[in-house]
Amino acid sequence: MVRSAADRAFLPAKNLFEQVGDMMILTGKTIMSAIRPPYPYGGEFMSQFLFALKLCWFPLLISTIAFGYGAPGVQAANFLTLFGALDRLGGFFVLASIREFAPWVDAMIVAGVAGTAITADLGARKIREELDALQVLGVDPVKNLVVPRFLALMLITGLLDIYALIFGIFGGVVAEFVYHQDLAGFWATFFTNASVTDLWGSVVKTTLFGGIIAIVCCYKGMTASGGAAGVGRAVNEAVVIAFSGIWAFNYVFTQTLLATHPEILVIR
Amino acid sequence: MTEQDSGDRIREEGNLREGVPEGATPEEKFIYHGVVHDHGRDDTVEFIDVVKAFGRNRVLDGLNLGVPDGLITMILGPSGTGKSVCIKHIVGLLYPDEGDVLVQGDSVPDMTDDELFAMRKKFGVLFQDGALFGSMNLYDNVAFPLRQHTEKSEDEIREIVSKRLREVGLGGAEDKMPNELSGGMRKRAGFARALVLEPQIVLFDEPDSGLDPVRTALLCDLIKEVHEENGGTYIVITHDIASARRTPDYMAILWRGKIVEAGMRHELFESENPFVRQFLSGESAGPLGME
Ligand SMILES: Nc1ncnc2c1ncn2[C@@H]1O[C@H](COP(=O)(O)OP(=O)(O)OP(=O)(O)O)[C@@H](O)[C@H]1O
Ligand SMILES: [Mg+2]
Repeated sequence: MVRSAADRAFLPAKNLFEQVGDMMILTGKTIMSAIRPPYPYGGEFMSQFLFALKLCWFPLLISTIAFGYGAPGVQAANFLTLFGALDRLGGFFVLASIREFAPWVDAMIVAGVAGTAITADLGARKIREELDALQVLGVDPVKNLVVPRFLALMLITGLLDIYALIFGIFGGVVAEFVYHQDLAGFWATFFTNASVTDLWGSVVKTTLFGGIIAIVCCYKGMTASGGAAGVGRAVNEAVVIAFSGIWAFNYVFTQTLLATHPEILVIR
Repeated sequence: MTEQDSGDRIREEGNLREGVPEGATPEEKFIYHGVVHDHGRDDTVEFIDVVKAFGRNRVLDGLNLGVPDGLITMILGPSGTGKSVCIKHIVGLLYPDEGDVLVQGDSVPDMTDDELFAMRKKFGVLFQDGALFGSMNLYDNVAFPLRQHTEKSEDEIREIVSKRLREVGLGGAEDKMPNELSGGMRKRAGFARALVLEPQIVLFDEPDSGLDPVRTALLCDLIKEVHEENGGTYIVITHDIASARRTPDYMAILWRGKIVEAGMRHELFESENPFVRQFLSGESAGPLGME
């Protein structure tokens, strides 16, 4: 009786830890399998890359401009005008957009748009026993399905980060216009604060975000069960776990980057 | 059969298995006692005390079964007793919680990934719902194993695939995508794909469900024909009695995760086990209810 009550209380948590463990194992297997010959995944990699690009570019365009304009743009500008220091908005955008918002919006879009598509696709194949059939026919699903998605999402998330940066900053520029400020001060403070470390930090971070998204979404798809409703559940859980994973990883990464490169903490 | 009779028989045979439900009447014990008639051949596939549970649901519960080499074996059982689960154990898609599954003497759960892939090359599998690849048309689906495992030219592949598709009556549907087909057509296409490499061991999960009676009969004949032509060990899962009458050499009846009785076809059709008799005559009165 006591056991069953405890089981019921802790089972979800235990289950979650188990799943996270399984995802770690899948990550290891994926990396090993990507390195070990043969390399049959080129075609699938290209098609996944183009598929993700096609799905993501427009939502990302809209959300980065809107987000850049709305949150760090208008809000910070509003605050900075109090001190008559609206030119500082450029410097703030280095902190806000390059370090946090662009990677964050980028990862949310990739997970929410491309990641869910991956989970739904693999989940449907799992339900129709296609994945079982593939394995019986001697096709390794990790090498042929997970590896290309893993590599494609890493590349696309990394590249889209730069795209998100540009349009995020464009959102800030729009905010400057709204406050009838010319852009000289914005760019001046932007470039005195920007550093190469910030840029590569941002790109490396998002590339790893892409890896997290791919593993979570593939794992959830390949372990879906319980018919069409099960696929829906898998997609839902994949998004939640991917977002949480990204937030947790983001914290660790940013702290590590700041600790190892203290010069970027100095606001100029 | 009266309770007294069946009770006597159990004492006579003395091979009552563990796992019989507590408080079972002698008749129920008789149903469960798991007679396995000898088939006098090597076992190609062997289940040894296999237990498999999904959560609380013990699907296989001490399953013991040997599948004879070179024959067509049919596994029968009511819906939901774990027949499909059995098949997945044979090809290493599921692993037993306890016990062992042997294929040609090698333990499947102990195999490394590479050994498993090598072993699977001996198999052709028809999954219950066909398991066609949704992104490929019928032709590519059936050609897939040939492209994957052989060096055949595209012309040779075309010849084999066309022959296999014609055999199952899908000659004109090569360009169709799986989602444009009926359930029965998908099943027949899966059937063609399972046989395309002429494998040594073929597993058919309900090749006949979803087909009309005439096509069922034709498909059963086709299984026998192909078997005569190529040899090998075939395992056919079904709950169709008409198929059971014409197709198999050896039969096993599965219920609640155990073998009720296994033997050559005539031995089972002459069985005195009330469950086997009810099942093979398709009557509503008997030990098996809706539950
Ligand atoms: N992957 C799984 N996860 C959880 N439960 C499962 C899984 N696969 C099968 N089961 C359960 O195992 C039991 C047996 O399933 P199985 O598909 O083997 O039945 P079956 O004998 O093939 O029935 P049918 O004749 O209807 O196909 C069912 O109760 C099913 O719910
Ligand atoms: Mg089944």
